[in-house]
Order: sequence, then C-alpha cells, then structure tokens
Amino acid sequence: MGLVENLAAACKEFPQARVVAFADLSSSMILASQGRASVTQEHLNQLCRQARASFDDPLFSLSVEAFGEPNGAVVMDHDSVRVFLRSENDPADAICCICDHGIDLAAFVARVRKTLDQLDAGT
Amino acid sequence: MNKALLPILARLHSLQSPAIIDPAGGRLIAAAMDPSPITAVMREINETMLGRSLTFHSDAGPNMTLEVAGRRVLRMAAAEGLARADTCLSAPALEDGQKDDLIRLLHALAIPGRTLRVVSTPISNEAEGVSVGLPVALLADLMLVELNGIEAETPEPEPEPETTEEPAADTPAPVLQAATGASLLGRFARANGQVLMAWMIAGGEEDGATYGPEEMVSHLLGFLEIEGEALSQQLDLISTVPGAPVCIALGANLAVGNGILCARASNGFLLALIDGDSTQTILRAWTAALA
Repeated sequence: MGLVENLAAACKEFPQARVVAFADLSSSMILASQGRASVTQEHLNQLCRQARASFDDPLFSLSVEAFGEPNGAVVMDHDSVRVFLRSENDPADAICCICDHGIDLAAFVARVRKTLDQLDAGT
Repeated sequence: MNKALLPILARLHSLQSPAIIDPAGGRLIAAAMDPSPITAVMREINETMLGRSLTFHSDAGPNMTLEVAGRRVLRMAAAEGLARADTCLSAPALEDGQKDDLIRLLHALAIPGRTLRVVSTPISNEAEGVSVGLPVALLADLMLVELNGIEAETPEPEPEPETTEEPAADTPAPVLQAATGASLLGRFARANGQVLMAWMIAGGEEDGATYGPEEMVSHLLGFLEIEGEALSQQLDLISTVPGAPVCIALGANLAVGNGILCARASNGFLLALIDGDSTQTILRAWTAALA
C-alpha cells in the first residue's frame, strides 16, 4: 500500500480524524495529506511547525532525562487533539494528525504507529 | 515507614526473588510485560557491590557492557546496536561529561515491551584501577528511577487525594476521583489517576498542589524554575489560540513506558510524569476538565 493509500485508510477507519499528513520535519514540509477537512497549505505548514516545536526543548531535554528521546506527542486544546508520531528509524519522518475530541485516542495512536512502521518497512 | 529502612528492605526483597535463568544465557531481569525495564537495569547495577562486568542483552538486539563496582558505573566496555556510543566507549572512566550520553544509551537499551537479561563476569584489568565513575544514585535521580522500590505486598494506607501529602515511595499510587478540584489543571491531573505517577501545579488556583514521590516532584519543580520561560514559549508555538488552555504529552511510545506531560491554563502550569498508557486517559480527562 502506498503512502497516500495508507493515510487514506487511516482516515477512513477513524472519521474523527480531520487530517492525517506525512511530514519531513527536517525541511518542515508536509509531503502528503488526507482527511475530511479542507485544509490550506498554510494550515499544513502550521501543523508541521507545531510538530517540530513539540519535539523541541525544553520538553525534549526533560524527556531524554526521564525516559529517552520522545517519538510520540499528543497536543490537546479547546477543540482538537493533534497527534505527532516520529519514525523510530528516521525521526525526520513523521505523521501529523488533527482530530476531534471524540476520537478513540488509544486506537488511533496504535493505528498511526502501525502505518508509520509499515512506511518505514516499505510495505 | 522509616525511609532509612527502604534500601534494606529493597535488598531483602531482591534476595528473596527467584533468579530466572534465560535459555539464551544470563539471568532475566525484565520480562516483556515489565512496565519499566530501565528500573531493572539501574537496580541491577545498584545491587552489584563488588567489581563486575555486567552485559545487558535486549531481545530487540542492542547490548551494553558496563563495568561497575560499589554502586558506581566505572566505564562502558562495549556497546552493540546502540547509536552514538563512542563518547562513552572511548572514556577510560565515565565522568560527568558522559552522563547524558550514558542515560540516553541506557534508555535505548531498555526498551519497554522487550526482555532484558544480564550476564555477570569478572571485571577487566582496565577497570581495576578506576575508582571514580558515575554514581548510580545520581543517574537514577536524573532518570527518575526508584532504586529502592518494593512491589506492594503490604500496602500502606493511602493519603486523601485533595491534600498535598505524597504517598510513601514504595506504595502504589491511589486511584483518584475524576474531575474534582478548583482548577482545570487540578481536575485534569486527578482524572488521570495512576497514569500520572507524579505531578505538580505552579501558579493559578491550585498553586503548590503536588502528588507523587517527593524526589520526582522536586525534579519537576526544579525544571520549571529553570525552564519556565522557555517552556511558556514552547507552549505558545504549539497552541492554536493564544492564552487558551493547552496540554502536551510526550513519550517514546505513548502506549507503554514512561512519558512527560505539561499543561497550561489560567496562568498555571501542570507538569507530570506519566507511567504506562497515557492514551487511555489523557483525552477523556482533558475534555472532562474543560467542560
């Protein structure tokens, strides 16, 4: 299954996922995205910046002290939850998502991690 | 309990525990379902008083050989499958400058969900003359690992959740009632129950509220004192609405192992240490606290 098909499948399984995007964090670029929401390129750029900021200091250093390098981040605000998962093989590769509060977060994170692992493995 | 008794009881408990010999060789110190394999590694080192060479093998592939004595990590003799181990491997004796790298490598070795075994052999000649190294207690403090924890066989009475007393270091954390308290941050923290094994609130309505082992809470407080401004700027970057409540949870794997959590609302900060699967609780707790 290709990248776009993988992202689309995740969106289909979780209707509360507004956007699921694959990003290169090193260049701050969204390389592919799927979802029910119409998002502008500016929104996607902002999503990428938020992903980079999530894995930055000072919380990154606190994470390293506590348990090691973080590869997963969940950001919650007043009306959405964003999920950022980095590849363990190449932390520059990440899947960035915007979801409704009603999403089954545990199942969704597991699904996105599986998608990222499949992309890492080239399957 | 008298805190001076904790190390003694921990050693006695450890001696009582049966050794499990792994078919691949060595002694199993962490099974796949163990929530904190890093704790098993640190305790193994802490309990090795005479000079020994400890080789830790993860079934995920990485392994590491540490020469230890007297509750100090003297040197790293070997490392396989672990990136950027050169700074530790090249040091004749581990010093403060290698501390962060060693911590990073230990975390990379002790992967949650994987088994860990240890093989103990005599210490090498190179390490015989080393008398410094890095204290295990220092490393454990920085890694928020409890060296003297005892699995609860005689649980002690738990404190009321509304007070700021922390429970004894070796007792299970109380299950807190959901969504009670004066502030959004307090309601959110309590609604997560035992997933947040330690937390503190600074600023806002519940300024000074804490939960969990004192050393963990102190570490969080110290971090906030130093990095408060930078933390605020980081939260600004991940927020979509300036000044609105926001929360971030970070983990190596959000579903297992440890993590950290930070939230900001109404001029207050919540900092917390996560133990276990935060994905099961944090979103529900957050939406309930917002309501």
